[in-house]
Amino acid sequence: MPAISVRELSKDYGSKLALDRVTFDVEEGTFFGCFGPNGAGKSTLLRILTGQIQPTSGEAKVLGLDCATQGLEIKRAIGIVPEVESPPSYLTAWEFLYFTGKVRKVDDLEGRIDRWLDFFDLQEAKGTLCRDLSKGMRQKVMLASAFIHEPKLLFLDEAFINLDPIYQKRLREYLLQLRSEGRTIFLCSHILEIAQRLCQEVIVLDKGRLVARESMTDLVRKGESLEQLFLRLVEGGNAHSP
Amino acid sequence: MLTVLRLMLREEYRMHVAYSSPRVFFSMPAYVFFIALFFASTLPLMEDSIPIADILLFTNAGIFVYGLSVGAFGFLGKTYLERRYGRNNFLVAMPFLMPFTFRNAYASMYLRDVIFYVVLILVPGLAGVLMSTLVADYRLASVVVAFVAVLLSFLLGISFSFFASVLYLRSKTAFVAIMLAFVAAVVAYGALSLFPLQYLLPSWGFQANLRPLGDDVGAASIYLVVSLLATAIMASMAVLTVREAPLGRTAKVRESYPRYHEAFRSARSLQALLAKEFSDMARSGGVSKILLAYIVPLLLLSFTTWYVNNGLAIPVGFNTVFYAAMVGSFGIMLYSWIANQDAVDYLETLPVSVPQVIKAKLSAFFLLTLVISTLFVVGIALVNDETRLLWLALPVLYITSAFMVLATAYLTGLSPNSVLFNPSVMTRFMIISLLPDLGITILSFSLDSNPVFAVAGIALVCFALLTSAFFFYRGLEVKYAHAGFQ
Repeated sequence: MPAISVRELSKDYGSKLALDRVTFDVEEGTFFGCFGPNGAGKSTLLRILTGQIQPTSGEAKVLGLDCATQGLEIKRAIGIVPEVESPPSYLTAWEFLYFTGKVRKVDDLEGRIDRWLDFFDLQEAKGTLCRDLSKGMRQKVMLASAFIHEPKLLFLDEAFINLDPIYQKRLREYLLQLRSEGRTIFLCSHILEIAQRLCQEVIVLDKGRLVARESMTDLVRKGESLEQLFLRLVEGGNAHSP
Repeated sequence: MLTVLRLMLREEYRMHVAYSSPRVFFSMPAYVFFIALFFASTLPLMEDSIPIADILLFTNAGIFVYGLSVGAFGFLGKTYLERRYGRNNFLVAMPFLMPFTFRNAYASMYLRDVIFYVVLILVPGLAGVLMSTLVADYRLASVVVAFVAVLLSFLLGISFSFFASVLYLRSKTAFVAIMLAFVAAVVAYGALSLFPLQYLLPSWGFQANLRPLGDDVGAASIYLVVSLLATAIMASMAVLTVREAPLGRTAKVRESYPRYHEAFRSARSLQALLAKEFSDMARSGGVSKILLAYIVPLLLLSFTTWYVNNGLAIPVGFNTVFYAAMVGSFGIMLYSWIANQDAVDYLETLPVSVPQVIKAKLSAFFLLTLVISTLFVVGIALVNDETRLLWLALPVLYITSAFMVLATAYLTGLSPNSVLFNPSVMTRFMIISLLPDLGITILSFSLDSNPVFAVAGIALVCFALLTSAFFFYRGLEVKYAHAGFQ
């Protein structure tokens, strides 16, 4: 059974068609990348898959659960890093992780919180209200909150944004470790260099339509980079080096 | 500054349209127009029982309070500037990026609110009253005078509120001092009659000295100038004292969430969410805001009933049961505060549903109000020597509270402020909330003359409210089953 299964999925916001009959599967244990220009429908797709919004038509299943009707069950099983880093204003970083852990009924909660605060070097800031943290720190808190229950499927929307190179590297290594453990990761990003190093399979969306599906192995065999593929598809072959 | 003001007006319009739609937004002034037209047209029929002076007085006082509430956005302070409410970014925070000052932004915000609400509410109201002159015998000059007085009352309210907002952000002590001075002035006028109302609300002096209430143009002119001066001084002081770049403070706090979590162990599936509500209240200063939102209407209610009985010398039988029904209906404002404590978009990442979050907020509401409301109603019973009515008043209080807050939650979900801007929701809400209150109020007045009839009637209304409250509660799950947090 694929970890994610999408069939003829469409979503419109009134007159604007955000997703247009998208179909693809993601096998378990795959590091899967979803790319496209701004407004291509990536975040809409991610929000449907994580049960945040309802599709207009078509079907989407995550871990065998129907995204349209079993959103809560899906959220229990997965971890989500949203596009905008927005932890609650009046909890500290430590308290937000505690809150997350309690909502998710996580064992050995305080030990796990300590581990993630250490991982992201947040111990100094653990007593600061999230609203007073910098963007980067908020992003780290959201990442820790998505990882704390060690889900077998992760959805990451621009997870590397706001992180400095040290933490980008640290996060990259952790995600590769998860990949080697057989966990599934669904990544939306504009940072194609990082995605190239991580992803095994990719799709490219443009104006709501799926315009390409490639495995990274095939791409490398063709001598094409992810950036070249992206520009070729989205710019209609007009990409050129400076 | 004109460019910023123009953009802020556009932004305010777009924000309101985002709550509903352009059609619904523009139905708001139409709604005000028709209400004004209806009341102004039917006013002459009621003039024998309610004098025009009292109607004008209540209109000015009401608009002054409206001005206070419009200007109160500044109390959101840092939260407002950071735009932590959802994913919106607003122009008032642009001085962080653009070459204009916070002072400039704040002045533009003040002018924006004045223009926006005058055009949205006061001008359509004036148009409705003007239209009523076709059927009612009003002099055009009197309508213009009444409009100018109401406009001045609004300006005084909004300017005072803006000024108080800046004080609140700069110095809590100064804020408390000015609020105490304000309350003292209200008590000195209302309870002790130390000076006339026009000293407190000069716009009323303008109205009271011109026809149809008076004929002293000189005195009216003085009150006009005083009102304008007071407005200008308060607005200028607000703009001049607003802090530049107010986001510099980052404080460490002691962990308290686990204690709240432990305290609400019996809340089971709502435990984590309910604990967060109380933690937020403590951290955001929400408790004082919430108490203020509750206590101010209680004081206004007490003052109004006192004024009707003593000031107007109308022998209306306000009793403890009446107060209980009224206090129950104040729950709307409190729920609104609780629902707006913090943005909820981060909850999209967690396995919680919108109905669960609404229920946690409702639980917080009941835990907060149970004590305050009970104390108020018991206090009123003791003051009026009506403890014999408590057996009826307390159930009325709890049932109307439950009904009102569940109706609000059902109709508006997690966005009570924004959704109540939608006229169709507001109309349904007013019908739902006013009818039962009216029923209990009328029945409570006959408790002394016909107790069996009154008690039976109140019991019937309460049963209907309780049944409706139950269905509203059940309906939350259905209505918001697939709702998102953004």
